[in-house]
Amino acid sequence: MSGAQPLDEAPGDAAFRLGLLHGVLCAVNLGAIVLDAQRRIVLWNSWMVRHSGIEHAAAQGQDLFALYPALRGGRVESAVQQALHNHFPSLLSQSLNKAPFPLYAAGATAQQPGPRLQQAVEVTPIAIAGAAHHCLIQITDVSIAVAREKLLREQAMVLRSQTFSDGLTGIANRRHFDVTIEKEWRRAKRNGTALTLLMIDIDCFKAYNDHYGHQQGDQCLIEVAAALAGMLKRPCDMMARYGGEEFAMILPETDGEQARRVAEAIRLRTLELALPHAHSGVSGGLVSVSIGIATQAADVPVSIAELIGAADRALYCAKRGGRNRIAAEALD
Amino acid sequence: MFNLSELENDALVEIFNIGVGQAAASMSAIVHEEVTMSVPSISFMHRAAAAVLLGRGDHEHARICGVSQHYEGAFETEAILMFPEDKSLEIVRLMVGEAVPLQELTEMEQEAMCEIGNIILNSCVGTLANIFQHELQGSLPVYHVGTSDEILTASGSHSDTVVLMLHIDFILEKHQIHGYVAFILDISALHDLKDQINRYIARAMGQA
Repeated sequence: MSGAQPLDEAPGDAAFRLGLLHGVLCAVNLGAIVLDAQRRIVLWNSWMVRHSGIEHAAAQGQDLFALYPALRGGRVESAVQQALHNHFPSLLSQSLNKAPFPLYAAGATAQQPGPRLQQAVEVTPIAIAGAAHHCLIQITDVSIAVAREKLLREQAMVLRSQTFSDGLTGIANRRHFDVTIEKEWRRAKRNGTALTLLMIDIDCFKAYNDHYGHQQGDQCLIEVAAALAGMLKRPCDMMARYGGEEFAMILPETDGEQARRVAEAIRLRTLELALPHAHSGVSGGLVSVSIGIATQAADVPVSIAELIGAADRALYCAKRGGRNRIAAEALD
Repeated sequence: MFNLSELENDALVEIFNIGVGQAAASMSAIVHEEVTMSVPSISFMHRAAAAVLLGRGDHEHARICGVSQHYEGAFETEAILMFPEDKSLEIVRLMVGEAVPLQELTEMEQEAMCEIGNIILNSCVGTLANIFQHELQGSLPVYHVGTSDEILTASGSHSDTVVLMLHIDFILEKHQIHGYVAFILDISALHDLKDQINRYIARAMGQA
């Protein structure tokens, strides 16, 4: 808009040109807000009325940040300052700024507003001869593009997951584990939530293989993996084959107490499979597991290596303690 | 070739470090994680030499991602933030916090990269303008991908045009990523820059 040419060729006088410009601003298919140097709204186009539910008259003259106090201290405010004082434009991408303005699909009601429109925002300074700089905020609805990319990402993830699964058991492989632990660890840190890692090992598996043969050993791994993976209820939980007869479970937003309950349930579920193990040395000749638990507290993040190390040590404790049991190592 | 004295060079490095420091603070606020940025060094070189420096990677025609903005007013420059394409994927995905298993930036990710460039370039140029007590206007950022030569010539400059290259280090969550900001300057802007640095140094010395 700042690059608009004066309408020298247009017929009529200044009033006509003003009316035309106003009509165009109200007809364009994007949100347009103009603020004066005191950040008061001097223009609020029809698109804004349709998607914000705030009429021209109600918006006109209001401080934008009084109208939308949630925008204070965020990117929108700093972009407005940047435009009014430094005369630099800013771009606020949808990916880094989740729907800053409370704008909804046209026809939404206060009772059922639905989700906010996905927004791409541009804030540009406007130089006006003889007056302080104003700024123009343009808001584009990018909901459709966002939905398209979500689909693209999901399909790419499906393709990727085919190279991310363990050939024998069908659960996630070690590579998948490495990627997921990194992702969940960062998410936990960002959101300030707990994160639990379980290391699960089938007891005396070498003796099982020696006694029943490798084919039977593979069958045992498949059954245990399927049974334990089937216990995970939330999409964010994941179980991976960590190596040989060792499995790892990533449980986001799970504290130490919840982790113990999950681990105990896993231990019992394994016994319930009632797979005979002549050399288990424990639990009446059935296949059993030992489980090491490490939980990173919500506000005390440690490194991924420390988390894995702690789970490993806890697993070792459980083994040394006689197997078919769980052990936890505190991390703080 | 255009050159600065050691003192002028240090002053300019300091100014840019203030700029990227502000940019890092803005980005930390967006992602709620610590982002650090620094400018370890700057250098002046011809555009052709800058293209070679950027292109020297695994292979000669490695693709570079660039975000450019045009600034004008007291002086005129084309500012371009550049990262090797794989590094720009890394930055955007670290910032957005979501991994997309694709080899190229998606449309939304390109826009996020534009915003990152916008924040860094506005901070660098804004700090420069404030310290030089100058008025400048800027354009909105534009995303480019191509060879270093293609990106540096996108503004239509000659191969002997002088480029002020900032080496920048971007650190987020133990990932350290090297990139560049190039300012394409004509000869009068260069001399103006030198004058302004000296005025700044004189003011700083005077206050000391």
